[in-house]
Amino acid sequence: MKNFIIPLIVFLALYCFTGCDDFVDVEVPASQLTGSIVFEDHATANAAMADIYSKLRDSGLLSGNSIGSATCLGLYADELVYYGTNDENVFFLFNNSLLSNTSIVSQQWNESYHQIYCANAVIEGCQNSTALSTADKNQFIGEATFVRALVHFYLMNLHGDVPYITTTNYELNRVVTRMPTAEVYNHIITDLDQAIALLSENYISADRVRPNRSTASALLARVYLYKGDWAAASNAASAVLNNPAYVWENDIDKIFLKECTATIWQFSPKLDGNNADEGATFIFQSGSPPYVGLSSELVNSFTNNDLRKTHWIATVTDGTNTWYHANKYKQNTNTGTSVEYSIIFRLAEQYLIRAEARARQGELSNAKDDLNIVRHLAGLPDTAAVTADEVITAVMQERRFEFFTEYGHRFFDLKRNGFLNTILPTVKPGWNTTDQLWPIPETELLMNPNLTQNPGY
Amino acid sequence: MNNFSLNKGWLVLCYSLILGLCLCHSPLFAQNVPLSTTSKQQVTGTITDGGAPLTGVSISVKGEQKTVISNFDGKFTIAVSSNDILIFTYMGFKTVTMPVDGRSVINIRMQEDATTLQEVKINAGYYSVKESERTGSISKITSKDIEKQPVTNVLATMQGRMAGVDIVQDSGSPGGAFTIKIRGQNSLRADGNQPLYIIDGVPYSSETIGAIATSGTAPTLTSPLSSINPSDIESIEVLKDADATAIYGSRGANGVVLITTKKGKAGETSYTVNASTSFGSVTRTPKLMNTQQYLAMRQQAFANDGVTVFPSYAYDVNGTWNQNRYTDWQKELIGGTPEVNNLQASVSGGSQRTQYLLSGNYRTETTVFPGDFKYTKGATHFNMNHTSDDDRFKITFSANYIAQKNNQPSIDLTRVSRTLAPNAPALYDANGNLNWENSTWDNPLAGLLSQFDSRIKDLTANTVLLYAIRPNLQFKTSLGYSDLNSNESRTQPSTMYNPAYGVGSEISSLSTNQTTRTSWIVEPQLNWNKVIGKGKIDVLLGGTFQKQRTERLFLNGFGFASNSLIHDLASASIKTIDLSDETIYKYQAFFARMNYTWDERYILNVTARRDGSSRFGPGKQFATFGAIGAAWLFSNEALLKDNSVLSFGKLRTSYGTAGNDQIGDYQFLDTYTSSGNTYQGTIGLQPVRLFNPEFGWETNRKFEVAIETGFLKDRLFLTTAYYFNRSSNQLVGIPLPGTTGFSSLNANLDATVQNSGLEFTLRTVNFQHKHFEWTTNFNISINRNKLISYPGLESSTYVNTYVVGQPINSIKLYHYTGMNPTTGVYEFEDVNGDGTITSMGDRKTIADLSPRFFGGLQNQFKYKGFQLDFLFQFVKQQAFGSMPGVPGTAINQLASVSDAAAQQPYTAGANGAVTTVYYRYGLSDGNLQDASYVRLKNISLTYDLPLKFTHGVRCQLYMQGQNVLTFTHYSNGDPESKFSGYLPPLKVFTGGVKLTF
Repeated sequence: MKNFIIPLIVFLALYCFTGCDDFVDVEVPASQLTGSIVFEDHATANAAMADIYSKLRDSGLLSGNSIGSATCLGLYADELVYYGTNDENVFFLFNNSLLSNTSIVSQQWNESYHQIYCANAVIEGCQNSTALSTADKNQFIGEATFVRALVHFYLMNLHGDVPYITTTNYELNRVVTRMPTAEVYNHIITDLDQAIALLSENYISADRVRPNRSTASALLARVYLYKGDWAAASNAASAVLNNPAYVWENDIDKIFLKECTATIWQFSPKLDGNNADEGATFIFQSGSPPYVGLSSELVNSFTNNDLRKTHWIATVTDGTNTWYHANKYKQNTNTGTSVEYSIIFRLAEQYLIRAEARARQGELSNAKDDLNIVRHLAGLPDTAAVTADEVITAVMQERRFEFFTEYGHRFFDLKRNGFLNTILPTVKPGWNTTDQLWPIPETELLMNPNLTQNPGY
Repeated sequence: MNNFSLNKGWLVLCYSLILGLCLCHSPLFAQNVPLSTTSKQQVTGTITDGGAPLTGVSISVKGEQKTVISNFDGKFTIAVSSNDILIFTYMGFKTVTMPVDGRSVINIRMQEDATTLQEVKINAGYYSVKESERTGSISKITSKDIEKQPVTNVLATMQGRMAGVDIVQDSGSPGGAFTIKIRGQNSLRADGNQPLYIIDGVPYSSETIGAIATSGTAPTLTSPLSSINPSDIESIEVLKDADATAIYGSRGANGVVLITTKKGKAGETSYTVNASTSFGSVTRTPKLMNTQQYLAMRQQAFANDGVTVFPSYAYDVNGTWNQNRYTDWQKELIGGTPEVNNLQASVSGGSQRTQYLLSGNYRTETTVFPGDFKYTKGATHFNMNHTSDDDRFKITFSANYIAQKNNQPSIDLTRVSRTLAPNAPALYDANGNLNWENSTWDNPLAGLLSQFDSRIKDLTANTVLLYAIRPNLQFKTSLGYSDLNSNESRTQPSTMYNPAYGVGSEISSLSTNQTTRTSWIVEPQLNWNKVIGKGKIDVLLGGTFQKQRTERLFLNGFGFASNSLIHDLASASIKTIDLSDETIYKYQAFFARMNYTWDERYILNVTARRDGSSRFGPGKQFATFGAIGAAWLFSNEALLKDNSVLSFGKLRTSYGTAGNDQIGDYQFLDTYTSSGNTYQGTIGLQPVRLFNPEFGWETNRKFEVAIETGFLKDRLFLTTAYYFNRSSNQLVGIPLPGTTGFSSLNANLDATVQNSGLEFTLRTVNFQHKHFEWTTNFNISINRNKLISYPGLESSTYVNTYVVGQPINSIKLYHYTGMNPTTGVYEFEDVNGDGTITSMGDRKTIADLSPRFFGGLQNQFKYKGFQLDFLFQFVKQQAFGSMPGVPGTAINQLASVSDAAAQQPYTAGANGAVTTVYYRYGLSDGNLQDASYVRLKNISLTYDLPLKFTHGVRCQLYMQGQNVLTFTHYSNGDPESKFSGYLPPLKVFTGGVKLTF
C-alpha cells in the first residue's frame, strides 16, 4: 500500500502547492453574451431591440394589462370604476390617494427608466459597433431613440418635470435633477426628429409591429399638440395622414383587428394566438365586475346613435344591476391564431390632432373635415360646431368617446386643457388639485437628494 | 414521472426494514459468542448511568491490550483472570476501575463527569481539537438536543441553544425557510449573510434553488437546507471567531456551520426504530373585529366621508352581503391542524476495525390550510468506517440521500385571513363549488387551485482517506460530491379565476423549474505533529479544489385542452422556455494551520488561507486570509492546579480576517441574456445588470477575547466572550435610484461596519444523585452594530439611509407627537421646521429593529427512567404594529381599532389627508411596539420503560412540544415572524416511541 500512496501524496502535494491559478477562470456562460458582442451581429442586436418592445408590451405604462396606463389612468380619471377590494394600488388610484411610497408609483417609474436604459444601451451599442451595417445602425438607433422619447413623454405627463436620461452611465444617472418640462419637450422633439431622420418609411416587419418613420411622426404630432405648438402638430399629423400606407377603415368593427389599415403601430403578442392584453383586462361576462367596469357616467354621455356605444361598449346585467365594460378589443383569451394586437397609434388620433390644431389656428373648415371623418365612422352626422371654441370643444368630446380606455388619453386631455380640477371633483370625492401630478417615488428622493417632490405629497 | 412510486417505495423500504429487524432479532443474535480461553473465566455485566443502559463503554483489562465494548443494552462479556482489574471508560463519564475478585457478574453504574466534558473533541473543520485546548469560539449541539425536537429543518434545532446565533423562522409552511445571523448582520446584502454549511467536510450550497414563477408559499425561494435530515445528525458545530473561521478564508466571514452525521459504532448489531406523530397549529393570531364592529367602522367611515348612499361596489356594507354573517377567517383559512408522521429506523454495528450505520427516515406533514396538501420526505443515511490491521490506513465513507416531495398551495392565506371582511360570503355554495357570490369577492380558496409542487432529490457523499506515513505524519484526502436535483412546478388553472371573465382552460398555465446542482470537492491535507520537551506542535497543510455547476431550465406551458391535463407540459398548446442556463463556480484554496501547546498551559494557533474564486473578475480572484489565536489555561498553573473551587480556567483571544464571496456568479461581466420574452417570434436579449468589473473581496476583521471558567469540578461552567468584528470594503449591491435603469450595483462599499457583542454561556449541574439529576444551560447574546465611517456618505445613495455612529440595519422614522385634538389626525414632528412633513426632511428618528439581546434557558431533569427537558427562548426587540390598510376601508382590523376615539377618523378612501397620515404613522415611532417575547420553545418528556423481563429491548416513550407557550405584549400576531403576511411558526405537539434492540 505504501508503495503507491507516497507517490500519490507527492503528486497531490505538488499539484496543490504549485500555482494553478487558472483553475478559477470561468468562461462566459452559454446563455449570456457580453454587451459588446450583442451589437456586432444583426440578429442579436435585433433581439435586444425586440426585447424592449416585449417590455413595453408586458410591463409599464404602455402595457395593456391591469396596471398599464389604460387602467391606471382610466381609474385615476373618470373612465373606470374599481369593483374589487383587495388591491391597494388600484384602490389608491381610484380614490386619487396616491402616496409617494405607493408601490405602483415606483413600479411604473422604475420600469419606465429601465426601458429607457435598455434603449440607451441599444443606441450606445450600435454607435460603438464595428460590424453592423449603417442601415442596421440607423434602424436600431432610430427605433431606440423613438422609444426613449415615448417613455419620457409619458413620465413627463404623469410627474411633471422629470430627468431626461440619454446615457447608460450610472454615475451620471444617479445624481440627475428634474428637468423643466419645456426642456423635456425639447429633448423629446430632438429625439423624434432624429428618429424620423433615421427610420425608413417602410415597416421592417409585417403587421406594423415595429415603429417606422410615420410612427415617430405620429408621436411628434401628439407631442406638439400637448405642447400647444399647433402648426407643428398639424404638420406632423399631416405627414402621417398623407402616407398612402394608411387607409381609413370604415367598418367600426375592424378598427381593432390586427390587419386594420388605419393602424400605425401595434404590439406583437407574446405567444401565438394571444390577443391584446386590454381584452383580458376589461372584459367580463357576468356581474359584478371582477376588476374594473366603465363608469356609467361615461356610458351615458354617448349619444344613443353613436356606434361606439353599441360596438365598443358591452353591457352585462344580472336582471337588476347593469354594468359596462370596454369592448374595443373583443378577445380575452388565447384564440389559437391571434385576432387583435394592442394598438398604440392609430389614424383616428392623427385626424383629431390635426382637427384640434387646425381649429386652434382658425382653420375651422379643415378642422371640421378631420373631425367629421372620425364622426362618420361612429355613424354620427357632421359636427354642428360653428365657432372655433365650439369646434375645439367638439374635438375634445370626440377624443373622449374615441379614445376611452386607451393609454390615458382622457386624463391627459383633461390635464392639458386645465379641466382636471373642474371636472373630476364632481365625480371623484377624493380629488385634490395637487393630484394632477403623480408623486416622485419616495425611494427615489431618498437615494438622489437632487430630486424634489411634487406639491401635495 | 410517477408521483406515488416514491412515497410508496419509501414506506415499503422502511416497513420492510423494521420487519426484517424484528425477525432477525433472535437471542442468538443478541449475545456474544463465548470466548474460549483456557485459564480464564467469563465475566458478564450491565453498565448503566443509573437509569438507562450505556452503549459503547470500553472495558479493558489493566495491563492488557484487550478491549470489549458494551452493547446496546449496556451488557458486556469479557474473558479475564480472577485477579485482573477491569477499567471502564466512556466519554463524558468518570472512569471506573474495578477488580474482578473472582466474580462472574459485575454490574457497573457510571457517573457522568462534568470535568471530562473538557476532554470532548470538538470538530473545527479541517482538524479537531480538545474542548479544553481550543483557541477559537465554537458552539456545539449534539444529537441529544436534536432528537428532542419535532422539527424538520436543521436550523430549527439550533434556535435558542447557541450564543451568538440568531435564528428566525420566516414561515410556518412545511419546508419553509429560516434566517440565520451569526454575530449580527455582517453584509448589507440581504442574501449575503449566509454562513458556510459543511456536511461531513463537503460544502453544502445554501443558495436558493427556486424560481419566482414556480415558488410556493414560503417568503423566500426554496432553501436546500431542508434536505438535511435532523435525525441523522450527530452534532452541529458553529464556528464564530477569526481563529475558527479564518481557515475557511473567503467563505468564513458569516461563520461556519459544521454538520457531522452519525457514524457506525463498534459492538453488536443494534437496531433502532423511532416512530412519532405530531399535531400542530398556528402559534398566535391577533384578535380581529367581529361583524358588528367591522360594519360600525365601515358605516362611520362613509358618514365621515360625507357619502350618504353606499357605493355599488361596497358589498360588505351596502346590503349585498349578509350583514349578520360572521366568519373567523383566521380559523377558517389558517386554522387547520397539520399532522406530522415520522418514522426512523437504523441498524448499526461492526467490529473494532469496521463499523457501519444504515438508517432510513420517512416523514409526512400536512398543512394548516384547507385542502389536501402534503410535504413528504424520505431519507437514507449510510456510513462505513474501516481501519487497516496496522492502524495506518483509515477510510470513512458517508452518504446521505434525501428525496422530498412538497405539494403546497402556491399562495399563503395568512394575509387574506387577516384582511377579509368578517361578513364576507361563504367559501362554498350549496353544491360544494367555490362560491364567487356573483363576483362580489375573490374567493380566497381559488388561490389554492394554483398548486406548487416541488420534488427535490439530494445526494451528498464524502470519503475521507487517511494514511499515516509515520506515526506523527498523516496524509488525508477528503473527497466530496453532492448532487441536487430539483423539480418545481406551479399550475395556474383557469378555475382559479373569477368565472365572470368567462375564460377556459385555454389560458391555464404550467410553469416548471428544473434545477440541478452538482459539485465536487477535493481537499488533500498533510498533518504532522511532534512533542518537543514540554511543547507539542501540530502542523496542517492543505488545499481545496471545488467546482460547482448549476443548470436551470424554466419552462412554461399555456393553454390546455382540459384542466385535467395541466400537469403535462406536452399537452400545452404553447410552450416557452424562460431560462436555460448553466453557471459554474470554481474555487481553489491553500490553507495551513500551526498549533503549539506548551506544558498544557500556553497555546498558540495560527491559520492562514489563500483563496481564489471565480466570482471575481480577472486580477481580483485571489485574496489571503489568516488569524492568530492564543489561549492560557491558567488553571494549570502551579498556583491554581489543585484549587478546590476553580477547576478550570482559560483565557483565550483571537484576531484575524475572513471573507465573503456570496455575490452570485458572473457578476463582474457586462452581459446580455435571453429574457425569455418573445416579440415577433424573436426571443429578446436583455442587459443583465449594471456592471462593475472592479469589485473585489470584502474583508471581515474579527477580534475576540473570552474567558472560560469551571468551578466545583466544573459543575458550574461559565464562558464569557467579547467580540469585535469590523468589515470594510464590503461587497454590496449599492442601491441606485430608478433613473439608472436598475435598482442596484455590485460594488465595494467604502465604509467600515462594526459588530460587537457579548456572549455568556452558563452550564450548571444543580443536582447529581443516584436517581435524580438536574442540569441547566443558559446563554445570552448581545450584539451591537454600528457604522464606523463612511467617507462620501453625503454624496452616496445611502445619504438618507445611514448615519455614521448608528446601526446599518436601523431605519429612519417620523417622530409621532400625538393626535390633533380637534381633527383627530395623527401629527408628527416637523424636524426641519419647513411647515410640511416630508420623508426627506422629517424622518430623522432612528430605530434599530435588530434584537437587543436574545438567548435560551434549558433545563434537564432525570429521575430514574424519566427525563424532562425544556427550553425557554427569549428575545428583546421591537417591531412595527399592524398596518393592514386605512381603518374604514374594506379591510378588517384588529379588534382594538373599533375604539374610534383612539383612531384617526375612519375613511372609506376619500379622505386623502387621513390616508397619507396613516401610512406616515406606519413609518413612525408611534407604530413601534415592544415585540420581545419569551417562548417555551421546546419541552420533551422521555420515559424509559423498565423492561427487565423482556431481555434486550429498550423502549422509550416520549412526548415533545415545540413553540408551546409564548409570552409577549406584541399585538400583531406571532412575535418571531412578526407579521410578514406569511404563516407564523407552528405550535407542535408530538408523541412517539423509540425501540432499541
